[in-house]
Amino acid sequence: MTQTVSAPPATWSPPATPAAPSGAPQPPQSLSTPRRGPLGEWFAGTPGRMRALLILSAVVSVLFGLAAAQGFRQSDGALQRAEANTAQLVRVQAIHTSLVAANADATNAFLVGGLEPPAQRQHFVDSLATASRLIAEAATAQPADQTVLGQLNTTLLTYNGQIEQARANNRQGLPIGSQYLKDANATLQNDSLPLLNALVSANEDRVDTEFDGVGDGNVWLIVGGLVSLAVLVVTMIWLAKRTHRYLNIPLAVGAVLVLVTMVIGGAGMAEASSTAEDTRGDTYANALALSRARIAAYDAKSNESLTLIARGSGAEFEKGWKEAAQRVDAELAKVGRVGAPRGWQDYKRSHEAIRRADDRGNWDEAVNLAIGSGGDSANTYFGTFDKSSAASLETTSNAAQQQLGLARGALPPIEWLGLPIGIAAALLAAWGLSQRLGEYR
Amino acid sequence: MKKQLIAAGSALTLLALTACGSADYAATEIPPKPVAPTSTAPPPAGPNCTNNGVDELRSIAPTGALPPPHQMPAGSTMEEIYRNRRLRAGISADSLNLGSRNPITGAIEGFDIDMVREVARAIFGDPNKVELVVISSPQRIPALQRNSVDIVARNMTINCARWQQIAFSAEYYRSGQKTLVQRDSPAKSLADLSGKTVCAPAGSTSLDNLNKYKDRGVKAITADTDTGCLVLFQQGKADGITGDDTVLAGEAAQDPYARIIPNERISDEPYGLGIPQGNKDFVQFVNGVLEQMKADGRWKASYDKWLAPTLGPAPAPPKPLYGRR
Repeated sequence: MTQTVSAPPATWSPPATPAAPSGAPQPPQSLSTPRRGPLGEWFAGTPGRMRALLILSAVVSVLFGLAAAQGFRQSDGALQRAEANTAQLVRVQAIHTSLVAANADATNAFLVGGLEPPAQRQHFVDSLATASRLIAEAATAQPADQTVLGQLNTTLLTYNGQIEQARANNRQGLPIGSQYLKDANATLQNDSLPLLNALVSANEDRVDTEFDGVGDGNVWLIVGGLVSLAVLVVTMIWLAKRTHRYLNIPLAVGAVLVLVTMVIGGAGMAEASSTAEDTRGDTYANALALSRARIAAYDAKSNESLTLIARGSGAEFEKGWKEAAQRVDAELAKVGRVGAPRGWQDYKRSHEAIRRADDRGNWDEAVNLAIGSGGDSANTYFGTFDKSSAASLETTSNAAQQQLGLARGALPPIEWLGLPIGIAAALLAAWGLSQRLGEYR
Repeated sequence: MKKQLIAAGSALTLLALTACGSADYAATEIPPKPVAPTSTAPPPAGPNCTNNGVDELRSIAPTGALPPPHQMPAGSTMEEIYRNRRLRAGISADSLNLGSRNPITGAIEGFDIDMVREVARAIFGDPNKVELVVISSPQRIPALQRNSVDIVARNMTINCARWQQIAFSAEYYRSGQKTLVQRDSPAKSLADLSGKTVCAPAGSTSLDNLNKYKDRGVKAITADTDTGCLVLFQQGKADGITGDDTVLAGEAAQDPYARIIPNERISDEPYGLGIPQGNKDFVQFVNGVLEQMKADGRWKASYDKWLAPTLGPAPAPPKPLYGRR
């Protein structure tokens, strides 16, 4: 540490700062110029300034490398999290859909009177099983959702218990079964669905935040790049003035390296960001709309059955049906013609037929229309809509995930190359300056 | 210098590693529960009526013989119903033996249902020309006031306060309020349930009577329907149910772990058919139908079918009291 600068500057290392080992005795070399101290002397005059510029440009180059890496890490992370949050949102909406689907089955089966059809019961059981499995999956995927998912799980236990009790009483021919069914429906509407709505909106916000953050990485790259280019260019100009040589090749190469990294990185990031925006406006928006349409459609179906169960005093449920059907129409309008599910308009027509019969006072005919499973019954059309919308949803949500994955894959590997590039630029700068510095020895 | 460099470098690296730590999201919030609306109290009894077992039971006397079916007097409420091609009746679908949905057949049946079917028979000559509108206890009076039903047959007690809002037919059954408890409960009266929770349907006279026991430490809880109370009872959220003996008999029949406290009849509950206040001609018509039913044995036949198995042999049908105009 006591030696003065003599080694080639490429591996040059600055001497220890005087403040370094507190309490330790000062090395003897400090005797030569007692007024300035060793550090002041070292930076004195033109060679001193060269040394200072050398350190500055080397440090700035390394910092550029780190900033570039950070920028890419941030964009890549945002894309990755957008993908993960989209998956979580789809999962939460699948839970929502399964629950309203189960409830639609339960209420429709109740209308049948006597025993429910085995296929419908199976669909109910499957829907609840799906919801239960997805809750566990979602809690693992997003720790921030765990508390609400835990609560949701509790309400599901209550709901399922009430449904089973309704079934058991129904099996015994006791009218109290209908009260348990009503309570179960109330549990779902008042306890489970608000939790699901909270989950959906929280995850939508997260997806939005991440989509917004994809382009933010560019700030690091551009600010870091501009600062280090400025330093390198100023150094070159200063050097040219002092040494009367127009071009210092290593310094120029270092500056070009920084510029090229900035251009390629910036372009790559802009590309990824625009892919993400496209996904958000196209496939992701479609998946969201389809998912919402399905939830609203099942909501409508439950309301249809509840209107009939309420038998004459179900005006409120029919209002609920209308609202839900409007939501379905609005969401389906957002989905382009390609991939739009079939069956919804047919179902709406058959619902109107049910309402006409009930409003005429012909409840029995209305129920027969509502529970039938023949060729043109409400259940058949709704089944068509269910199947075709589920298929479209799967296609679009897979496509959204895939596009986000592709955007990530297309990012230039600057997250890993950033630091090496910065170090290379620093070495070039140090090399270039030490060539001139050598002339002062 | 080197150390400064290292310090600056490592600080930046740290920054780089932590700046993107936005994967820690705020936990999803549990939404707040909405507050349930509070029910409104019924208006006070009118000036010309006290609940003394006579005044409130006075309905409007029928004039002359009933018109035969299909020949309703022009301009009358009955003619309007006839043109509507159905009688809209507000009923219960969950009070076993009074009005309940048979889970096996899906049909709604019971003593109350028979009453409206007979009214429909008198208008249309067909007891099936009825649209059964299922309503809850608190919906009974609003449904009549809005004219969304023509008649309510839902174990409805006649009293002065309700006469202010709607009209009643003459009494068609004399019920009384009793209490249902767990089979192993030692309680011999409602007052013995001090410190316990007892359920009664919202907007019912049973609830008004139950509230008189508040001073004695009986806690009240409500449900929308009688069966709603039975669910609370089965879930352990209510220790007892108080209500009309007819209703309680139907509930006890659905739950072998429940028993009705014998020998304690808190109040008399005279049942009447509720009719919108303006339709005085229809009140007279219905009273005529009830008189016929009581006289020709249709009333007893219905009682024997629905209520006799749980409440014992048929009493004499209540005598109609008239005098209201």
